[in-house]
Amino acid sequence: MRRTSGALTFVLGVAVTLALAACGGGSTDSMKAAANNGLEKTKLKVGAIPIPDPAALYIANTKGFFKEEGLTIEPVTIQGGAVAVNSLKSEILDISQTNYVSTFSAVSKGEKLKLIADAYQAGPNTFVLMVPKNSPIQTPADLKGKTIAVNTFNNIGTLAVTATLKVAGLTKDDVTFKEFQFPQMAAALTTGQVDAAWMTEPFITVTQSDLGTRKLVDTMSGQTANFPIAGWMTTEEFAKNNPKTLAAFQRALARGQEIAAKDRKEVEAIVPTYTSIKKETAAVITLGTFPTTLNETRLQRVADLMAEYGILTGKLDVTTLLAPQPAATP
Amino acid sequence: MTIGARTLRGAVGVAGFLAAAEAAIRTGLLDARLLPPPSVVLREAALLPADPVFTAGLTGTVSRWLGGLALAIALAVPLGVLLGSLPGVERATRPLLEFLRPIPSVALIPLAILLVPDDFLMKVSVIVYASLWPILINTVYGLREVDPLAKDSLRAFGFGRASVLLRVSLPSTAPFIVTGVRLSAGIALVLAVSAELLAGGAEGLGVFVIRAGSGNRTDLMLAAVLWAGLGGMACNAALVAAERRVFRWHHLRSGVAS
Repeated sequence: MRRTSGALTFVLGVAVTLALAACGGGSTDSMKAAANNGLEKTKLKVGAIPIPDPAALYIANTKGFFKEEGLTIEPVTIQGGAVAVNSLKSEILDISQTNYVSTFSAVSKGEKLKLIADAYQAGPNTFVLMVPKNSPIQTPADLKGKTIAVNTFNNIGTLAVTATLKVAGLTKDDVTFKEFQFPQMAAALTTGQVDAAWMTEPFITVTQSDLGTRKLVDTMSGQTANFPIAGWMTTEEFAKNNPKTLAAFQRALARGQEIAAKDRKEVEAIVPTYTSIKKETAAVITLGTFPTTLNETRLQRVADLMAEYGILTGKLDVTTLLAPQPAATP
Repeated sequence: MTIGARTLRGAVGVAGFLAAAEAAIRTGLLDARLLPPPSVVLREAALLPADPVFTAGLTGTVSRWLGGLALAIALAVPLGVLLGSLPGVERATRPLLEFLRPIPSVALIPLAILLVPDDFLMKVSVIVYASLWPILINTVYGLREVDPLAKDSLRAFGFGRASVLLRVSLPSTAPFIVTGVRLSAGIALVLAVSAELLAGGAEGLGVFVIRAGSGNRTDLMLAAVLWAGLGGMACNAALVAAERRVFRWHHLRSGVAS
């Protein structure tokens, strides 16, 4: 009998927890709004991928910049921007890291999204094509008829590789793309499943030192030099309903971004706290830059390149996607 | 075979596998730079309980796993009893159940992400959905196996439907239900981790694996997977032990050698 009642209590406990979780949101949020400089929402669930790109979020959070704005941030680890769009729509997340190519593709398919802030921009050698140590491939032109690993079809990888192939006089039809997650690319290269792999950090550094793989070409040069990679997004609806919260988020994040942009040591210190990248690795990987403004001209370049290489079917005007930006800090 | 001998054989099997894997990697048959040897993975796994990110993840995953399983039991057993005792209803709902049951639950996670506006509820709902079926179906079939003589005897003595259910049908169905729970426990763990791998989260074993993967730490990925496997094994062992103790009569009657 004792055992049954224990089990019953547990089931009841679960049911009550579920019920409480279900009706947690509404009333408390609106009550706090009055107390917190009119912020519509003070607790934000923010999706971020465990890579260096979203460093500013964690810097700002650790240094208490969000607290100063009256915001509590719950960082949520996500595996990619594609699922994040659905998590935003169902309000599992309020704000999420994304890559611009994913966001623009989603918008062209009718998703209503707004870009809040810039996060990460490619630098020299942050996204490269790698080949095995003794590969016969010496120049990008040798890639004709070869197989290339990218992390996702029709995304930054294929875009940057296609732009690189163009310089060598090839098109994307001259190669075969195969999808591999970054952690599996080293194995795909050494076992000969692919001839080249489009890699980013920390995989570039680690496979170079562990496997002796060779950098064939930097895919972020020429048409893709200083290419905007990652930013922060939310839904149009959230942006419309929470303008003050969003402005507060932007202000606090911008302070984190300033630090990330100026001081590499701060980035190296924060990255191992929210990723599995070791301190020693963080110190040697090649990092891109952390832009401090969301610049529509720079972003338009991404959409235009996507249209040129057929990832977008038509022209996309990115100015309509930018959430209002905070006034420049004095 | 005694429990001791069985455990010993199991341990020999595991040790043999680990030794073979270690040898294959150390001798270069498998590439150590791609796949860390078991000795490294085991060391990392042993160190994980000291990592607060991992322990928070483990606690989170286990609570959603067992919570979801408990909820599935609470839903599936009454539903199974209903369907099992009302053949008409069972026949009417069978096509629907047969349609829903084989849908791979992992494929429903993206839909759940879109529909359920809360991370915890989303994860628990896919766990409940997936682990519902074995319990439900075992309950329905278990009720069919109830000794008709025992039921008739009780009825002959004037016991009502509820009494027959409580005194005969449910007790004799219980071993089937527990077997269903045991099958579901494994499925529930798979879903608990898969939902985290797909949707991410603030913590969880799957979230830990995402982190390890993005940081190129295959050793940590495998160490976390090892813990997930151990969790599943522990749960299964506990349920098997409970089955043996509580339903000794059932095993004796059905002639299952133990």
